[in-house]
Amino acid sequence: MQFSRRQNQDSASLVEMTPMIDIVFLLIIFFMVAAQFAQQARLELNLPEEQGESQQDIQNTGLVINIREDGEIVLETDAPPITIAVLDERIKAAIANEGAPWESLLIRADENAASASLNEVLRLLNKHGLSATRIATEVP
Amino acid sequence: MRFAASQRKHKLNRAAVNLSSMIDVTFLLLVYFIVTTVLATPEDLLTPALKVEEGSSISEEELDPQIIEVRQQDGRSVYSIGAHLCYERNELANILATLPVEPGLIIRVSDEVPVGFAVAAIQIARDAEFEKVTYVPAK
Repeated sequence: MQFSRRQNQDSASLVEMTPMIDIVFLLIIFFMVAAQFAQQARLELNLPEEQGESQQDIQNTGLVINIREDGEIVLETDAPPITIAVLDERIKAAIANEGAPWESLLIRADENAASASLNEVLRLLNKHGLSATRIATEVP
Repeated sequence: MRFAASQRKHKLNRAAVNLSSMIDVTFLLLVYFIVTTVLATPEDLLTPALKVEEGSSISEEELDPQIIEVRQQDGRSVYSIGAHLCYERNELANILATLPVEPGLIIRVSDEVPVGFAVAAIQIARDAEFEKVTYVPAK
């Protein structure tokens, strides 16, 4: 009698762990991939906290021009800063290759940077015949 | 027969693996990635038109739209529109609300002003429903 009761208790305490382990592994993979993408996609900047126009497709972007707080211009996340002359070449190439309408360029400027670099970049875009620009904001 | 049955039972016991340590490690990994993942903040856009002053300043024809000067004065960033000086965005918003929206708005930004202050002027103009907002880098 005693023996059979103990066996019942043992089987009741068994929990099926396989689905939980599956889900936990999927979550780990999700967070690993998400962390990687977040690092690669955007340079970390304090963008101006504004609502924006709430109708633009920010993903539809070719060349992204980042302006850091110190005014340096950076194109890729891990790349070193570039000069205006190099940016000039890159914009020229983008226009030659893709036709580069203004909608394909995005400016991400740190809110604490002086407008000097932004103004220089915009003069350059205007020189290449672009009639408007896209400035990224951070939705508050 | 009895012997064979007990042998099978013995094999089953051997196949069982204790998973608790693996689950511990897995949960630690999960917590690590949850904590270290930086959630990407949502971004949006402002799309002002672009114009650069060439030679002399903007022509008379282009003066029809109202002009906001965004510049530094006495060490502070300021919006200047006509005779008005605005230090806060709500002051500028109040002034823009009284202006006609059809002629558009020119925002002329000096080099020394922080980008955030200049971009705020574009946002305020958009919120005031100006049809055309033009960004002009000051000379």
